[in-house]
Amino acid sequence: MILKKATGVFAGAAAPHSARRARQAAGVCALVLSVGVSAHAQTLPSEPIVFGDGRVTLGGNVSLSVAPEDTGFFNYTDYEHSTLRMARLALMASVKAGDHLALLAEVRSENGEHPEPYGLYLRIRPWTNRAFDIQIGRVPPTFGAFARRAYEADNPLIGYPLAYQYLTSVRADALPANTDELIRMRGRGWLSNFSIGNPAPDRGVPLVSAFRWDTGVQVHAGTERIEATGSVTTGTISNPRFTDDNSGRQVAGRLVLRPVVGLIVGGSAARGPFVSQTALRAALGETSAGDFNQTAWGGDVEYSRGYYLLRFETVVSTWTLPAVGAPAGGLSLNAIATSTEGRYKVRPGLYAAARVDHLAFSDVDTTFGRESWEAPVTRVAVGGGYSIQRNLLLKLEYQYNTREGGRVQRLNLGAAQLVFWF
Amino acid sequence: MSLVSLVSLVLPVFVVVPIRSAAATGTIRGRVDLRRALSPSERRPNVSDLGAAGRRDVPDRLRSVVYLETAPRGAFEQTETGHAVLDQRNETFVPHVLAITTGTTVDFPNSDRIYHNVFSLSKTASFDLGRYAVGHSKSVRFDKSGIVRVFCEIHSHMSAFILVFSHPFFAMTDGDGRYRIDNVPPGNYAVIAWNEGVSSDPAPVTVPNGGVAEMDIALR
Repeated sequence: MILKKATGVFAGAAAPHSARRARQAAGVCALVLSVGVSAHAQTLPSEPIVFGDGRVTLGGNVSLSVAPEDTGFFNYTDYEHSTLRMARLALMASVKAGDHLALLAEVRSENGEHPEPYGLYLRIRPWTNRAFDIQIGRVPPTFGAFARRAYEADNPLIGYPLAYQYLTSVRADALPANTDELIRMRGRGWLSNFSIGNPAPDRGVPLVSAFRWDTGVQVHAGTERIEATGSVTTGTISNPRFTDDNSGRQVAGRLVLRPVVGLIVGGSAARGPFVSQTALRAALGETSAGDFNQTAWGGDVEYSRGYYLLRFETVVSTWTLPAVGAPAGGLSLNAIATSTEGRYKVRPGLYAAARVDHLAFSDVDTTFGRESWEAPVTRVAVGGGYSIQRNLLLKLEYQYNTREGGRVQRLNLGAAQLVFWF
Repeated sequence: MSLVSLVSLVLPVFVVVPIRSAAATGTIRGRVDLRRALSPSERRPNVSDLGAAGRRDVPDRLRSVVYLETAPRGAFEQTETGHAVLDQRNETFVPHVLAITTGTTVDFPNSDRIYHNVFSLSKTASFDLGRYAVGHSKSVRFDKSGIVRVFCEIHSHMSAFILVFSHPFFAMTDGDGRYRIDNVPPGNYAVIAWNEGVSSDPAPVTVPNGGVAEMDIALR
């Protein structure tokens, strides 16, 4: 009468109790592997860790990126860190104190270095039934679209858009004495140095930093169709800061429209004092005066439907520097970044992606003639991702980088990245 | 979702069972006692968001599935298929657990005014329905028995289970953990309770001819 089938009702598949045994076996393996780390660790988490009756939630993101050496420093975020050669551990936490108050934090460690607080702020929601929030502390970037989705699992490729990563030669703490000195640093943003201010070679700034968050106050309100955000912070979008270096405040704003489901249109603006007080004094003396700001505008569009996703983003940035010999009011350095990105899901767990990026810079007059103050850069990246499991993603990318200046003007790179998140 | 509405989704797939037995059928009923603590279902910390996320429904994770480990001969010969629904509502899959028989087609309507992207990478059924807006629905037919974990690619806090059985002898528990499996031919069986990926050890039960077998199960 009874069908004696060992596999029972889940014939040909993992039965629930079999699954449990498998999990137990996996747990034992994990336990063996993690001896010395934690006697309680049994399996890798796939969901956020929640305790304190739901008040405390922990999430994590672990990624390992490998690539050949980037001899042209196209993907570097400073002299020692490349986005394509990076081991990163990030832990995110949310601690809720009732319906009105939450503390949010993210701590990151890159390449085994000392962990740093990437974000740490208090979120206040005055009215629980209204989408109105005030965030105070080291807050997420108001400007642009990419910086808030720079997490490896959200980025379809491994590299970042040039606007958010590529280092120009401009620095807040060191200034060129003239345009000749400025253009000598073309294509050397990963380690630029100028004669005024801090003489030590150091990295320049990207148009918008995706690697550090600024400190200040942020206000956000939204409905289903429209969102608005404003912030006042210590640094600027290219040089977010925890401590102030020039007694100035950046004001930034962002407006997002969702006219139809799947279409997101955003506009951003930011303006704030860029040059450090020390560099200003070195350039202009104790009576230094003037507005030496970074001013930026941004526009972005995202459209998705079915299996494809398209994004376009542009950022226009102007730095005004007090260069000696420049016209009164300073030297204006403009940069325009455009990025177009697409992703298409080929089959469950597998997608293909591509991004085309370009960075252009304004011309300045030098003793050698008129020339762009930085070397224009173009990057074409193609790649894709394969989900080994829901929260374990393997990504591949191949980049074609070209730069109209610098020591290395053309470089093709392949990279692989493994991402685990919970 | 109430048990009544849940049953109404699943019922059409197992009311007709071609059991080759002249004997009267019996019933297995009882209660599943969840003795393990379920951690609250929370979103990942949204540190990079410009504001707090909107409110969403909380999935009902207290419902369990009780099923026979082995089934009577003839139970696997069922040919009738049906439809079930796994809704996407307030950033939650409703119901959180769906138990169906092989051959059932599950509809995945989007009842939210935002995109969702239902997918599964389970070996039992691998699919990706892409992004579609409110009022639209896509379907997947499940021809292989096993457990299917369902997720939303856009909202990582959304997840659901679909348990695909090759026989109809299973039941969802109600809010109090009670279950009832009807139309079971008399005989000796093993009953298993399942909740959130954890299953009990098989518990032996004898179904009398036309009678009721009581079986309470503790799930740790």
